Amino acid sequence: VTIAEIGAALRGKKISVRELTEEALQRIAEANPRLNAFLTVTETAARTRATFLDGELARGIDHGPLHGIPIAHKDNIFTRGVRTTGGSKIFADFIPDYDATIVRQLNDAGANVIGKTGLHEFAYGITSNNPHFGAIRNPWDPERVPGGSSGGSAAAVAAGLVPLATGSDTGGSIRIPASFCGVVGLKPTYERVSRTGVMPLGLTLDHAGLLAGTMRDVASAFSLIAKHSSGYVPAPRADHRVISLGGMRIGVPENFFVERIAPEVMLSFRAAVQTAAALGAHVTEIRLPDGEALNVVGRIAQLSEVSALLARYLDRRDEIGRDILVLVEQGRLIPAIDYLNAQRVRTVLARDFSKIWQHLDCLMTPATPMTAPKIGETSVAIGSFNEDVRTAATRLTRPFNVLGWPALSLPCGFSNAGMPIGLQLVAPPQQEDSLLQAGAALEDAFGIAGRRPPLFDR
Amino acid sequence: LAAAAEPPVPEDLLPDVLPALEKLEAALRALEVAIPPETLLWNGVEGSDSEDAS
Repeated sequence: VTIAEIGAALRGKKISVRELTEEALQRIAEANPRLNAFLTVTETAARTRATFLDGELARGIDHGPLHGIPIAHKDNIFTRGVRTTGGSKIFADFIPDYDATIVRQLNDAGANVIGKTGLHEFAYGITSNNPHFGAIRNPWDPERVPGGSSGGSAAAVAAGLVPLATGSDTGGSIRIPASFCGVVGLKPTYERVSRTGVMPLGLTLDHAGLLAGTMRDVASAFSLIAKHSSGYVPAPRADHRVISLGGMRIGVPENFFVERIAPEVMLSFRAAVQTAAALGAHVTEIRLPDGEALNVVGRIAQLSEVSALLARYLDRRDEIGRDILVLVEQGRLIPAIDYLNAQRVRTVLARDFSKIWQHLDCLMTPATPMTAPKIGETSVAIGSFNEDVRTAATRLTRPFNVLGWPALSLPCGFSNAGMPIGLQLVAPPQQEDSLLQAGAALEDAFGIAGRRPPLFDR
Repeated sequence: LAAAAEPPVPEDLLPDVLPALEKLEAALRALEVAIPPETLLWNGVEGSDSEDAS
């Protein structure tokens, strides 16, 4: 069920905000013991606000498409009066005294916050296997990770607990869980969405963004949180018109982003490219500059920046997971010279990569080289190549944090094991509208949007 | 460096900390030799607005 469909039911008086809220709370009560997607459920506040929002609608006050829609916020995003843990034991009892800008913007648009979603500790990892709050599970297979760090948000949307959730993305933390859980995840252009009130991790790499069940749901929420928004929302699906990609110049990498990809992922990716061409896009293969260099620079920058923020907590080692401690120690050992030169290499790479936009409007790549790994797996075999799960999962997403370009993941197929496969679309800076248009057209053509995991399909 | 850090890096973490870091720094060495001397630090994307990045 999309946000637009819920909105139509609300305005048609087929359901009230209060009833909608009770349904969401009931679904969470049933599903959360199996998923661990929510760290906090704000039942009382959500019910109170639902009554208020019903009253507003009755008085003719309508805040727009998100009026009365139950949403969730990743638990590293400040919510006034509601604990915000960052997935860390150190912040287990931290209660912010103000709302993050993104929270305030969605509240102003009439959304009803129903809870806070779990994440990888400090948002610094891709499994969401949290040592303090427990492993978050993938609704498509609870033995597998949902991805991370926004794993709770992705799992909550995929299981149909909420239609929309917020996330943050420093190296792929929105797009990786979106890919693993079969939902849409948007990382906007660097600084296009405010980070105020989002716990910082990598100061030059952090992005705030959204996860939802469909492209249109993401688009309608993005128009409310974006600076310099055009207000663009794709044409409603109900129009039964195919959104044309005629004239859109889509680039398909012939190197790096299509190397060391699991065969099933590659098959779905190739089919998606064919679909784009069938929709009228002008698809061209393109040889990109050094993608691995972007990852080297991104990892050096991230290790340094995160340690600058987290090293102060090393006197509380017993309250920090081992994987985080290793990364923080690595960051402490990187000399300032290396950090600065990494940022200078980044400048050179950004200049080189930006040249592709002279000939392209959009780039298509797989979102992740593989589907969701099992909980506890530390390496993944792709063909004859064995790779660290974290390095593999971020390999195709991190480059666009380094470049600051807008990028999203949307579901484009399923593996033989029934796990979702994500397609990544990338656009030039500030061109989210092109990205959302292309995504909506492809989503319509794929015909799998909103498909629910069998365990949560009712 | 690991021993001299304040606080020192615990010995039991070193096998996980050092090899991956050394490999990463070696990869950076190969990249930084080609930086033109006038190159500045990365400063965000065109049209970005960092008014509230704090």
